Amino acid sequence: MSQNLRVKSSNFIDETSRISFKFNGKTYYGFKGDTLASALLANDIHLVGRSFKYHRPRGIMTSGSEEPNAIVQVGNDKAITEPNVRATEVEIYNGLEAKSQNCWPSVNFDIGGINNFLSPLLPAGFYYKTFMWPASFWEKYEIAIRHSAGLGRSPTKPDTDIYEHRYIHCDVLVIGAGISGIMAAKTATKNNLNTLLLDEKNELGGMTIYQNSEKFKIDNKISSEWLNDEIEELNKLDNLEIKTRTSVAAYHGYNYLLARENLTDHLSKDEKENKVRQRLLKIRAKKVIVATGSLERPLVFNNNDRPGIMLSSAVKKYADYYGVICGKNNIFFTNNDTAYESAISLLKKGINVHCIIDIRENSNSSIVKEAQDLGLKIYWSHTIVDTHGYKRLKQISIMELSKDGQSFANSNKIVLDCDCLGMSGGWTPAVHLFTQSGGKLKFREKDQVFIPNKYQSEQVSIGSCNGDFELDEIIKNSSDILKDFLKIEKTGFDNINVETSKETSKKNIWLLPSDKIVGKTKPFVDYQNDATAKDIKLALREGFRSIEHVKRYTTTGMGTDQGKLGNMHALGIIADTTGVKMGEVGTTTFRPPYTPLTFGTIVGRNVGEYFDIFRRTPMNDWHINNNAEFENVGQWKRAWYYPRGNETMYEAVQRESKATRESAGILDASTLGKIDIQGSDASEFLNRVYTNAWSKLGIGKCRYGLMLNEDGMVYDDGVTTRLGENHYIMTTTTGGAANVMGKLEDYLQTEWPELDVYLTSVTDHFATATIGGPNSKKILNKLIPDLDLSDENFPHMSFKEEKIGKINCRIMRISFTGELSYEINIQASYGKSLWEQCMDAGKEFNITPYGTETMHLLRAEKGFIIVGQDTDGTMTPIDLQMDWVVSKKKYDFIGKRSLYRSDTMREDRKQMVGLLTNDPNTVLEEGAQIISELNQTPVKMLGHVTSSYFSPNLGKSIALAVVKGGKNMMGKKLFIPMEDKTINVTVVDPIFLDKENKKLNA
Amino acid sequence: MLNYTSPIKEVKKYSGLTVSEISPLMKLNLRGKSRDFLTTIGQNINIILPLEANTSASSENYTAIWLSPDEWMLVSNRTVNKENNDYEIEKLLFNKISKTNLGSVTDVTDQLVMINLSGEKIFDLLSTGSPFNFNDFRFKKGSSTQTLLAQIDVIIHHNQINSVNLFVRRSFSEHLMSWINDSASRL
Amino acid sequence: MFLINCPYCGERDQSEFKAGGEAHIERPKQPTELSDDEWAEYLFMRKNIKGIQFERWNHAHGCRKWFNMIRDTSNDEIKLIYKMGEKPPKG
Repeated sequence: MSQNLRVKSSNFIDETSRISFKFNGKTYYGFKGDTLASALLANDIHLVGRSFKYHRPRGIMTSGSEEPNAIVQVGNDKAITEPNVRATEVEIYNGLEAKSQNCWPSVNFDIGGINNFLSPLLPAGFYYKTFMWPASFWEKYEIAIRHSAGLGRSPTKPDTDIYEHRYIHCDVLVIGAGISGIMAAKTATKNNLNTLLLDEKNELGGMTIYQNSEKFKIDNKISSEWLNDEIEELNKLDNLEIKTRTSVAAYHGYNYLLARENLTDHLSKDEKENKVRQRLLKIRAKKVIVATGSLERPLVFNNNDRPGIMLSSAVKKYADYYGVICGKNNIFFTNNDTAYESAISLLKKGINVHCIIDIRENSNSSIVKEAQDLGLKIYWSHTIVDTHGYKRLKQISIMELSKDGQSFANSNKIVLDCDCLGMSGGWTPAVHLFTQSGGKLKFREKDQVFIPNKYQSEQVSIGSCNGDFELDEIIKNSSDILKDFLKIEKTGFDNINVETSKETSKKNIWLLPSDKIVGKTKPFVDYQNDATAKDIKLALREGFRSIEHVKRYTTTGMGTDQGKLGNMHALGIIADTTGVKMGEVGTTTFRPPYTPLTFGTIVGRNVGEYFDIFRRTPMNDWHINNNAEFENVGQWKRAWYYPRGNETMYEAVQRESKATRESAGILDASTLGKIDIQGSDASEFLNRVYTNAWSKLGIGKCRYGLMLNEDGMVYDDGVTTRLGENHYIMTTTTGGAANVMGKLEDYLQTEWPELDVYLTSVTDHFATATIGGPNSKKILNKLIPDLDLSDENFPHMSFKEEKIGKINCRIMRISFTGELSYEINIQASYGKSLWEQCMDAGKEFNITPYGTETMHLLRAEKGFIIVGQDTDGTMTPIDLQMDWVVSKKKYDFIGKRSLYRSDTMREDRKQMVGLLTNDPNTVLEEGAQIISELNQTPVKMLGHVTSSYFSPNLGKSIALAVVKGGKNMMGKKLFIPMEDKTINVTVVDPIFLDKENKKLNA
Repeated sequence: MLNYTSPIKEVKKYSGLTVSEISPLMKLNLRGKSRDFLTTIGQNINIILPLEANTSASSENYTAIWLSPDEWMLVSNRTVNKENNDYEIEKLLFNKISKTNLGSVTDVTDQLVMINLSGEKIFDLLSTGSPFNFNDFRFKKGSSTQTLLAQIDVIIHHNQINSVNLFVRRSFSEHLMSWINDSASRL
Repeated sequence: MFLINCPYCGERDQSEFKAGGEAHIERPKQPTELSDDEWAEYLFMRKNIKGIQFERWNHAHGCRKWFNMIRDTSNDEIKLIYKMGEKPPKG
């Protein structure tokens, strides 16, 4: 470790706590408080990655989340390795392992570097232009392109980390804990507003917290000392929640924001154990104060990307905050005063600063004077025309600018040695979150920045993200804005004495000239995607005008850093080249997230068993104990079949359905939707929602009902029982329950508010056991010996309210299988016990539990439809051959009018039929297509198979299908073409078994 | 004889939070709009149904929770007998309300499972899965709300300091309990 | 994610609500007397405006009540919420 690259006196680094980490396989040391970037720089490592397209060596440029170059792969565990992490944001810990990306075999020797020399062949739009012809070759190109593309490696195993979500509601959210954010948080909290303060860094205070210059004083204290005192006070306040390492990713409408709170990424493996790694905060704030600060701009000049070329503020932060010297021989290059602060800071630490190159003619601000007094050489009106050094900056060449800044005053070129260049192109307000929220920007000519203009929600921007860059302006304007925004008299910062160095002159040149022609230069605008000014100019020459198009064609701003540094330059170059004003070029759209989010954070706990919600019936434990296989029906876990021994599903279903028809079966039907309907207009209501008539249904009787949409298509079905004069219980399909309830409430509230009807869902209140089969009567008789089960007392389609022991239950004699069948509904808490008693009582009759698959088979034998399986929202009752359930007499019901639309009356609509295969052992595939002509091109598709089973009771394969004009095709031979064969079928009536319903009364 | 089975089997304790099911509690869903409906309920069970949204009212034996402008849930304050499910109050109100067409009375005793959360970390738990703003709710005893928790519909009733009752449909209760236990383990 | 002021329950997160399409399309009282075209007008024709739109919303995971909303679809601003049965303001 090169000790001479550390300077003492940082308050933020714990030099007593040495930390070891690995970078590209080699062990290095840093201190607690270091980022990976600062620790690498302290080890004199600038080269950390390769650029995306040309594979140029790249170094650390910044000290924050805007970093475009130093993106690394963290960790080598297959489950939790993470690509594209900014080295400037990784806090080091013992055991940290990081690797360079986008290079092979190593960052020092990268074969892809050849692209740099091929770069004249790789202009903007290279992929679009080159891989067009011949079209059939695209698939081959794609393999090669995909191999060379992509940053980093995705984890290959499931993420083992824990992520959480948390909802937070606050009065005031302050984003950013720089000087203005601290002011805002304190002001809001002191006015009894419940406040949340977030900052992406691990410490509060932003850039001011390490500002040690005597030139910047607040209340007669050095600005960092003043801010430190403010923060100490802040920490004592109640009503304020502070979250550091928390980055706001998205700012949506209605002040709904998403932020990622990073909880363990800075901890070593042992310390992380069993802790939540990251938390997604879902914040709803009454008011939002955006204090996101600003980002320093690079300068765009030839070869401005070499390792060792950094932002001037980053050079300063590494020295002042981390105590790390980025270079032994430093030069600064600037168009404003910022670089002078950095240079002075280095000089005062005894670090060599060779000179400052300033494109301005001069400046007489106090900070410039201070630099001059310290003996710093300044090259006014000069620009860098080229830089040298492949893996580390070695030299720069500078020339004097002409008056207009577009060419040179003379041909003299000065070559200067340096190993670190701090550049500053001014500052860009971080307006990303503001615009995400729908805010509109305006362009300020004076210093060429976009600043917030029109707010959409209750929010305000303060500090440098609002375009205030001078310390006195920041404090005064922030205070004024806060007073207005929070509707308060004073902030406590109203009359504070501020000393600062005022910037006196400004000059901005978006693309600095070179002595070479543009085509031979590489002035990078977007470092990560290797988009240069040359590419932007090419795009403009080729006719692209819209900034959004130029962005996509050149990929400027499309990297993982989303162009935080270079977007302004792209706009400026477009404006300069096309002669359009920058404010009129506009900006590209800033989209969430501000910094990348891991999928784990987005997903939170919705993984594994919490991926989706499950619902269970009261009998669930019994099914599990009796070897049931389950199927998902909506959110329900339903028993599917109950295999015995090594039975396959087919074998189990054959056994279950045979046993039910021959003796007795039992089904858990608890999942059916159940709606309690009361009110004096209950009968009228049912008349309106079902296709058939309800007024004459006797009390204690049951009736099947079919419900349509207004478009006439079948929506739901089920049996409804009249419990009393104005009291019904409706059953719906399992999957349709919630929607039916919603739809009925909708009609009652909006179309028919005059009806006196109340609905209450009781789906979960009842457990339902259905016993069916010829012996079901005997079993029920054992359960309730006193109940007269004769057809006279308890006929098919009727209901009895009974007690089993002391528990009330409702018994409906209804059937979905065609067998004599009783549906016993009991309060859910007694459901499991009821089921067990049914099993006991049915033992002597070989009562066989059956699941949904057998239920489907049994009803298909009877030609009963399942809404959602045999229908798909395009079937009318007429299509289903269910005319019998559609009342001709009723004036109106939901969907009635649509049954007479010309389209629904077409003869050639798809209609439900039965299909029998010529070979009774061939079972059709559900979904298989049906045709009538072989060897026809294009072949006419008539319809498809909706349900298909081998019926053990009939000893043959049966199927339900929808076929165009099927009603008039009885006996017709059709074909089902499969991949390897064609199956011959005959159209038959969809009722395969017991058409006379003899079994119901057996 | 039929046995009673509860979907939730055990009481769970975490730092600052205890989670338990309380059963059986009688629950009735009451719906009605007219003045007569309100007075009939009031006369028969000695409770004035709350008309203010997100509130509840309690008598010695029952608590009525506001669900919508024409819907309330009536819950017994104490557990009822597991041996039978004849509830006197249900019969009384059904006769006085449903049979007279003043509104509807429906037994929802087993439609909903009541999970009691107690301890100082109740709202930390709820904030991990509910979009509802509990900032005012947590300081108002008797406040109630219907919202989502872990994407499941719930009725939440703040019955006393550091205690809330969660009502969830029975079929969802195992999933919700599992989610609560998972989330609570990290409080 | 909108913050919607349910006219019965107060401000709630959008996830508690379901959108129900265009508002003020009344179901014809005598559907059988309508021509195919008139019925199709009711059944299928809906506006999809960039700007002020009248919508139906349901507080599905709360009080389950339906209400009307006037929303500017260009910036998602909710201009007004009013109960079912109430008439929209003129102009």
